[in-house]
Amino acid sequence: MNGSPPRRAAAPWRPRQATARTAVVLAIAASASLGLVSGAQEPVLPEVLLSRQLAAAEGLQPGDVVQLAPDADGAGTRPFRVAGIYEPVPDPAQLGSLPRNVRLHLPDLLELTRRPGAPVGTEHVATINIAVRDPADAERVAEEINRRMPGVAARPAADATGSAATFRVLQRFHLAIALVTIVASTVFLLALTIMLVDERRETVGVLRLIGLPVRRILVQVSLEGLLIAGAGGLFGLGLAVMSEALINAYFQWRYDTALLFVRITPSVAATALVIAVPLGAAATVAASWALMRRNALRLARR
Amino acid sequence: MNALAFAWRSLVRQPARAVLGVLGVAAVGALLLDMLLLSEGLVSSMRDLLDHSGFDLRITATDSRPGAGPRIEAAARAAAEIAALPSVRSAVALRFVDARVERADGTIIEAALQGVSEGPARPLTVLRGREIQQPGDVLVNETLARDAGLAPGSPLVLRAACTSDAEILPRITVTVSGTAEFPFETPGESIVAGSLGTLDEACGQSGAGEADLVLVASQGDAAAAAAAIQAARPDLHTVTNDELIGQFQASGFTYFRQIGAVLTTVTVTFALLLITVLLTVSVNQRLGQIAALRALGLSRRRVVSDVFFESVLIVGIGGALSLPLGILLARWLDGILKRMPGIPVDMHFFVFDPAALAMHALLLAVTALAAALYPMQLVARLPIVTTLRNEVVS
Repeated sequence: MNGSPPRRAAAPWRPRQATARTAVVLAIAASASLGLVSGAQEPVLPEVLLSRQLAAAEGLQPGDVVQLAPDADGAGTRPFRVAGIYEPVPDPAQLGSLPRNVRLHLPDLLELTRRPGAPVGTEHVATINIAVRDPADAERVAEEINRRMPGVAARPAADATGSAATFRVLQRFHLAIALVTIVASTVFLLALTIMLVDERRETVGVLRLIGLPVRRILVQVSLEGLLIAGAGGLFGLGLAVMSEALINAYFQWRYDTALLFVRITPSVAATALVIAVPLGAAATVAASWALMRRNALRLARR
Repeated sequence: MNALAFAWRSLVRQPARAVLGVLGVAAVGALLLDMLLLSEGLVSSMRDLLDHSGFDLRITATDSRPGAGPRIEAAARAAAEIAALPSVRSAVALRFVDARVERADGTIIEAALQGVSEGPARPLTVLRGREIQQPGDVLVNETLARDAGLAPGSPLVLRAACTSDAEILPRITVTVSGTAEFPFETPGESIVAGSLGTLDEACGQSGAGEADLVLVASQGDAAAAAAAIQAARPDLHTVTNDELIGQFQASGFTYFRQIGAVLTTVTVTFALLLITVLLTVSVNQRLGQIAALRALGLSRRRVVSDVFFESVLIVGIGGALSLPLGILLARWLDGILKRMPGIPVDMHFFVFDPAALAMHALLLAVTALAAALYPMQLVARLPIVTTLRNEVVS
């Protein structure tokens, strides 16, 4: 599942800004109701970015002024100017809920949420993201920070993905479904190849009567099976690639997200072929095996 | 011989292909049944879980989920005020915080600490020992009792973390009055439940008297009780079990319903294509035989119905086999999905539902009919003389 870059982020913003989630997005009003702050004496307002979904839901656009408050009762409301709309990094853990997010500069967020009477500089942040020069050093750097800074818990980003367990379970579930599908397909494939081989019993009988050894015919049947399975596998991949776009488009529309639900990677394609081609060839050989053991005269008999 | 018996003999004449066809339908039918169960299973299981908890309304301070938003102040008084309403049978306030239980050897067990207000019914079932009767009494779940070696009467040392994960308050010692089962317990989760006063003490009186949630049992009409509560306490947010299920359907696990619908469509299409191919190839191999039967006097309708009953037999036997197979498969898949974090022990992804079974039977019946259409058309339009001549010439 991949993310996509911000769609219409304003120029002065970078993707990694402080994020104020729904707790902060409590009082929003469009600029139409805030005409007092527009005009020649318009103060320079701090800027925010709105998630695309929030902007669409509230009918907001760049240039509008919104009111943000740290509490549900609307106390401590402050105006901010919408600098741009951004596409939030898709979060599979929040599937089904609209990301109503506002991004503020960290100092603005701390100013907004500071408790009355609390001195400046005593605020806390929940997380600090660190980019190390060499990603392989992440574990070592985390240990170093933990050693040097008691009270701070550092861990590599790969370990911090709390929802990873859910997706590992989903992966196992989909593998189980795939396994059942393979079993069902194999049974059908075997039934079909038995019928197709049965249709050619006379041909096989004649080939054996004119002197072709069983092994030679079996090799020919195997090659045929390989060709058919390969062609079928490629056709299946083509079908999967077409349905990939269709399924992604449907689920992206359904959940209003940029997440990718189906992704045919080279390794997935290779795995599908590695399973399908030998399975198809094996089914052909298995279906032909009984035929090869019969008497050639009986096979060719009309 | 009637058409069904004739179709049966046609299948028995080719046992390998018939058995494989039936097994194929059984495998596909099992997957189809499971996808139908998955589509509504989670919601149905959630509804059962909520209904069996004995409470049909949930009250919070705002529309945020319990624990994620502000708490209800003076919760015990609010619960008593709500319980006094004529449409309400009972109300109980709950507060949830994290806690660390210290074992005798000094090791720590992370646990959830629940504070429960006084009331005639509590959202738990006592398994051993007795209910919470006095301040300092707690009930623990079986997981914690096993992991910490606790029994009724055992002392329990815990430290609560009431405002953030990083905060650890001074330890308090409470007494285990018994073990209990909690409705939304997740596998491996350790739970301690005491009175609201015990929790306030564990929290050093931080947020004393507050609760995350008030559970309400109505006199039978949840909607009327919700309206009465809303009128009495307009500052609180009331949700009925039905509304909660509605929200759950709209968000949470809609993914499984969607994926169930997609896989149902794919499975039915797959079954349809393959049975059609099986029957078509089978009919093509028997064209001469069918033409001979027609020449002997069997009507067009009769030979067409033979093909149809062949499809019915393959799909019918396969469909019947798919039921036990599907139930076994559902258990296996449920076991996989229940390893997801945060899924309560009593919640299931695959729940048997007569409607799903009826839909399964209907889809298979439609598949049997649709799969037989093309081969039936082949048989119906079979030119008898030409086919027989071709057979003789070849």
